[in-house]
Amino acid sequence: MSERSQSRFGTVVLLLLKLRAVLVLGILLLAFSILTPSFLTANNLSILAKHVAISAILAVGMTFVVLAGGIDLSVGSVAGLAGMVAGGLLTVGIGGHLAGVVVSVAAALGVSVAVGLLNGLLVSELGVAPFIATLGTLYIARGAALLLSQGKTFPNLAGTAARGSTGFSTLGQSFLLGVPLPVWLMIAIAGVATVVAARTPFGRHVYAVGGNERAARLAGIRVERVKLLTYCFSGVCAGLVGLIIASQLESAHPATGESFELNAIAAVVLGGTSLMGGRGSIGGSLIGAFVIGVLADGLVMIGVSEFWQIVIKGVVIVMAVTVDQMQTKLQSRMTPAAPRGGRDRAQVAV
Amino acid sequence: MNDARALGEDVVLESRAVTKRYGATVALREVTFRVRRGAVNVLIGENGAGKSTLMRLLAGAEQPTSGEIWKDGRRLEMRSPRDAAAASIAIVHQELAVIENLDVAENIFAGRELVRSAVLVDRRREEVRGAAALRELGKPLAMRGVAGDLSLGNRQVVEVARSLECGAQVLILDEPTSALSATEAASLFRVIGDLKARGVAIVYISHRLNELLHLGDFFTVMRDGRVVGEGVRGGVDRAWIVERMSGRAAGEGETSDGGARVASDEPMLEVSGVSVRSGGRLMVAGVEVTVRAGEIVGIYGLLGAGRTEFLEALAGLRRMDAGAVRLGGRAVSVRSVPEALAAGITLVPEDRQRDGLVPELSIRENISLSSLGTFARGGWVRRRAEAARVREVAAQMRIAADDLELPVTTLSGGNQQKVVLARCLMRRPRVLLMDEPTRGVDVGAKTEIYRTLHALAGSGLSVLFATSEIEEARLLADRVLVMTEGRFVAEFSAADATDEALFAAACPRIEAAG
Repeated sequence: MSERSQSRFGTVVLLLLKLRAVLVLGILLLAFSILTPSFLTANNLSILAKHVAISAILAVGMTFVVLAGGIDLSVGSVAGLAGMVAGGLLTVGIGGHLAGVVVSVAAALGVSVAVGLLNGLLVSELGVAPFIATLGTLYIARGAALLLSQGKTFPNLAGTAARGSTGFSTLGQSFLLGVPLPVWLMIAIAGVATVVAARTPFGRHVYAVGGNERAARLAGIRVERVKLLTYCFSGVCAGLVGLIIASQLESAHPATGESFELNAIAAVVLGGTSLMGGRGSIGGSLIGAFVIGVLADGLVMIGVSEFWQIVIKGVVIVMAVTVDQMQTKLQSRMTPAAPRGGRDRAQVAV
Repeated sequence: MNDARALGEDVVLESRAVTKRYGATVALREVTFRVRRGAVNVLIGENGAGKSTLMRLLAGAEQPTSGEIWKDGRRLEMRSPRDAAAASIAIVHQELAVIENLDVAENIFAGRELVRSAVLVDRRREEVRGAAALRELGKPLAMRGVAGDLSLGNRQVVEVARSLECGAQVLILDEPTSALSATEAASLFRVIGDLKARGVAIVYISHRLNELLHLGDFFTVMRDGRVVGEGVRGGVDRAWIVERMSGRAAGEGETSDGGARVASDEPMLEVSGVSVRSGGRLMVAGVEVTVRAGEIVGIYGLLGAGRTEFLEALAGLRRMDAGAVRLGGRAVSVRSVPEALAAGITLVPEDRQRDGLVPELSIRENISLSSLGTFARGGWVRRRAEAARVREVAAQMRIAADDLELPVTTLSGGNQQKVVLARCLMRRPRVLLMDEPTRGVDVGAKTEIYRTLHALAGSGLSVLFATSEIEEARLLADRVLVMTEGRFVAEFSAADATDEALFAAACPRIEAAG
């Protein structure tokens, strides 16, 4: 093979590797639609999209945290806590007074931001390692969720027309133009997040902090504030997910969202975001969430056992990271200068 | 001090009797330092003299314990680098602070993004203005190129462009040429000339005296946290600087005592046909060299000549694509670091912060790190035997430490380098490889390291080192090889290795052009 065709071959391989998440998603969709004819029906796709929306919204929040060089393990617990706060206010209230839907939702989101703020303060002001800080708040938020109801479920969140407390189920159950509202929320959040990450000073600061924190500080970027904001945003996303789930079920369980953080991290990693920070994109995480969602639902539909599903998910994650390493190596072999890899705007466009 | 005041009156930035304490340590004692507009203000001193501390204060990264900083007749209260930027003071750090994952335009405007429609980054305007700034510096780099892919010289240009773009009136350059090749340095000097002409005040910190004398307009020498001398261009020479820097007369310890030693004829290290590929490029192309027992051989070359790759391959750190290594007449394999160590080849790496030291460990632990096996019995390290041997080596290396149990980071650059050297010597190697033996080391420690290496060679150790400083090649080596583009292109004895000859050999293109 001549030098030239070799390098062209390399370029093609590199492009395929870069687009791997899209390719994998395409292959999965194709495979499942051949294996089960009912896979590609409007009804099934709508259910699938609702599932995906949950992990996608978490993954979008998580992406900012990871891009800035952190990690947020508390998102699953925050989702659970947010649902419980809203559920408690709607059905038990404070001092015998029930709260309205808007107030309950606002309070739940407020609590979620507060946990995010706590994460951010622990990490940026007190210098606690993100893994440890958010592991701590994972337990604190979960414990708080259990304490709110002494471990019980808050049922009947749909409310009654007589008390004027209906409306909470709209969030998770209504449709707009035939598409579930949670899916619209996912699209809106991902859209705004993509613009923020790729086009605003804040987004650029996130990449800078994750790429080289010291240099970012010397450039005059307020590193602490950037980190704080990423955790707050991740908290809001988690709270929203908790509310969507509670609204879909019309009840709030204190155990909601257990191990969701792992799904969110898996989606982020599958989407090509580096856990070292500084490289990745929102679009990538979105595709990552779709891969995980399609895989989970598809495997159920073709009748693969629940236990094998877990194993397969693990294999996919490990493969994704391995391929990421291969891409980095190939890239460094093709560009003679120092191999660092940019922030990969190609995937923002995906 | 009176004549110093008369030197130049166009002072733009001034520290007035600034003192900085860290706990019990006084880093700066009532330092008054004036920075003149449109001039190169040179700051000289050994490591630990307080230059970097003073620069951190002027750049807003830290605040003085007492004393004041004045700019253009007004007192500055700086709490962060942002405040310094607002006062038009910019600094280019020694360890370049580009953000590797961002592109050139993003780096130039990091922290000060141009914005349109209130929230969005104005990418087009950034590219136009960034390109204009780089053009002025004579380095039209691609705005979309990722900073991590740039050479060190170009990274520095990006940082200077960044400073210019925010309208800096004072530009602090901390050891700007320590990582640059000669050609890159030459283009930096041109840029400095341009900036000066535009009225920018340059604060220039360097260890390289030739460079300072060539560039400087005003000179300030620091020692032990104090200003010990001030002078102007014309009134300052090499001896003047060295005397004030070290507090002793010039000339001491400057000469090589290599001549007093005679290497044996017995070849110790024989390398033939070594090739190393990196990033798709042939970095070392079939290199041959023989180092005799007790001989010190220097490899002089510009950045990117393949020196580091060659030494790393010999040390087992990098895969050799071809080549054979013989040690004391016997073929040895150096496919991994343990193999190379077992054979008796050890490397003192170029970047001691990254590859040399474990900052969390004590001086003792850093020194004994690669010879713990010799102190171990039944899986336990015999602390007493370890401590005794470490003390012995530390004394031999003249490591200036009160207590070997202190973190290694408490030592000065020179002493840290001695720690790395001590670790290598503890294994009693037969061949010592050194990449930039005295990078970031002050003059005093440099001399001591040279003396130690000469003594070691006298007892039969073979030394092969790479350097980008001509003076070092001349002072340290018995024989100097010049490396260009992965090949040895010339060889000089220590006596014949003049600046001109070495430099000309290292840059064949320049020679052809001249």
